[in-house]
Amino acid sequence: MINIKNLSFHYKKKSPLFNDFSLEVENGRIVGLLGKNGAGKSTLLHLISGLIQPKSGEINVNGFTPFDRNPNYLADVYMVPEEFAFPPISISTYVKAFSPLYPNFENQKLNNILEEFELQQPSNLNKLSHGQRKKFLIAFALSTNCKMLVFDEPTNGLDIPSKSQFRKILVSSVTDEQLVIISTHQVKDIDTIIDKVVVIENGKIIYQENIDEITKKLYFDLVPSLTGIGNVLYHEQCPLGQKIIVPASNGNESSIDLELLFNAIINKTI
Amino acid sequence: MNSNKFFSFSRFYQLLRNDILLNYKKYLLTIVGAFILGFILIFLNMPNQVSPYPNGKFDATSYSNLFITCLFGLGAFVGSAFSELSSKVKISNFLLVPASTFEKFLSQFTIRFIAGTIILLVLFWIDTHLARIAALSRIEGIDGHLAGPEKYDYIEKFHYSMLLIKSRYPVVTNWRLFEGIGYILTLYSAGMFLFSVKIFFRKLGLIKTGISLIAVVYLIMITMMCFSHLFYPETKGFDIANIDYILSNGYKNSEILLYSIAYIAPLFLLPLGYFKLKEKQL
Repeated sequence: MINIKNLSFHYKKKSPLFNDFSLEVENGRIVGLLGKNGAGKSTLLHLISGLIQPKSGEINVNGFTPFDRNPNYLADVYMVPEEFAFPPISISTYVKAFSPLYPNFENQKLNNILEEFELQQPSNLNKLSHGQRKKFLIAFALSTNCKMLVFDEPTNGLDIPSKSQFRKILVSSVTDEQLVIISTHQVKDIDTIIDKVVVIENGKIIYQENIDEITKKLYFDLVPSLTGIGNVLYHEQCPLGQKIIVPASNGNESSIDLELLFNAIINKTI
Repeated sequence: MNSNKFFSFSRFYQLLRNDILLNYKKYLLTIVGAFILGFILIFLNMPNQVSPYPNGKFDATSYSNLFITCLFGLGAFVGSAFSELSSKVKISNFLLVPASTFEKFLSQFTIRFIAGTIILLVLFWIDTHLARIAALSRIEGIDGHLAGPEKYDYIEKFHYSMLLIKSRYPVVTNWRLFEGIGYILTLYSAGMFLFSVKIFFRKLGLIKTGISLIAVVYLIMITMMCFSHLFYPETKGFDIANIDYILSNGYKNSEILLYSIAYIAPLFLLPLGYFKLKEKQL
C-alpha cells in the first residue's frame, strides 16, 4: 500500500515539482499513472522507490519509508526503468547473480514468461535487441513476486505482439498482494489491464478513479456525427466520425478509451 | 531473508557473490594483467650484469621501490570501486539492490581493498621470485661470463620482512614504529580517498580527487598560516611560523603533525564515504 501525505519535492535550482501532494493506493491493483511530459510521473516513481528523498512530507509504502532503503523494503520493490543497462553477461548468470537477493523469486515463473516472450538464453544480454532486453527485464521483475512493481514506460521499445503479450502476462502473474504502478504516455497499451487511473499535472493529481467507477459514470462511444447527441462531455474527430464521452445512463457500460479520457482530463472537460 | 536492516551475513554473502558473478572476467583479467606487468616491471629492474660498484646489489631498497610502484596499481584498482555510480541508470540499479548501504559499502571494501591488497601481496611475492629466477639465469659477471654462486647474493631473495626492517627507506622500522604506522596509515588514507572517489564524484573522479587533494593541502597550509598569525603575531603575510623543535623521543614537531594527520584521517574517510553513499540520490 502506498500512502503519500503532503509531499513536497523540487530538484536543485528548479521550481517545486510536488507541493502538498497526497496519494493513497491499496495493494491488489494495477495503477496507470498518466500525465504529460514533465508532469512528474518518473519523479514520483523515483520517490516511491526510494531513489530520491522528498523535501518534506511523508511517503509510506507497505510500512516502510522508501528513502531509508531498508533491505527488506528493497527486496519487495522492483522497478523497471525506462532506460536500463545490463552488465555484459548471459541471462542465466544475471539470474544467478540477482535472484537470490529477492526472497520470493520464482525460477519456474521466469522460464514460463521467457518462453511466452520467445526469449532464448544467449551468451550475452547486451547482444539482445532493446525490445528483447526490456522483455527480459519485465520477465525478471514479475518473477521476483515483489509486493510493489514499478514500470516506467514498459511498452516503449516493444513490438505490437509483445505489447499484447506484456498485457497478458502482467494480468496473469500479478496477485492480490501486489501493487503495480505503470507510468506511460502510451495509454492505449495499458487501457485493458489497469484498474485505477491517476493523472498528474504540474505535480498535482488532477484525476484519480477506479476503472469500474469510470465506466459507471462515463460512456465511451463512436458516432458518425454529434448531431442530436446531447450532453457531450468530450469529443474528438476520427476517420469514422466522432469519438465521444457522455455521462453513462441506465446502467449502460462501455469499454474505456483511456486515450480519449486522458485528453478529456487534460482539456479539463471532465 | 534476514530481517536485520543493517547487516545480514546471508545478504552480504549474496552481494559478494553477485559482484563476483558480474565482474569475474574483469577481475581475472586484472589479476592476470597485474601478474604479467608486475613480472615484467621487476624483471626489467633486476640487473643483468654484476656491477663492480658495491651499491649495485638488488636488495631491500630496490624491492621497496618496486613495491611502492605496485601500490599505485593497487590504488587504481581501489579507485575503480563503486563503478556502478558512474551513470544515472547504473546508480538506480545499484541503489535498488536489496541490501543495506553498509553491506554494499562493505562488499566493495572487501573486494577492492582487502582482497585487492591480499592479491597484490601474493602476486608481488610470486613475481619477485619468478623474476629473480629469470634474472639469475641471464646475469653475467664483470668479465662477460655467467656469474658464479655469488650471483645469488647479488639479487637478494625477496621476503616481506625485508620491507619492514632492512630497507634504507623503511616502511616500518623496528626502532621507529610510530613513523612506520604513520606511513601505513597514510597509504591507507590514500586508498580510502581513492575508494570513495565515485561516491563523491560521478564524472572525472580522478581529476576531481586530485584537485580536492590539492585543496586539502592548501587548507592545511591556510590553517597553519592562521595559527602562525594567532600564536606568533610577528608572522608576516602568508608566512607560516616554522618553529622546529625536537621532542625528547627524537621526533620533530612537524613530524608529529604529519603523523597525526595520517593517524586521524582514516578515522574520518571511511565513515564519510559510508554516509555519503547512504544519502546518495539519483
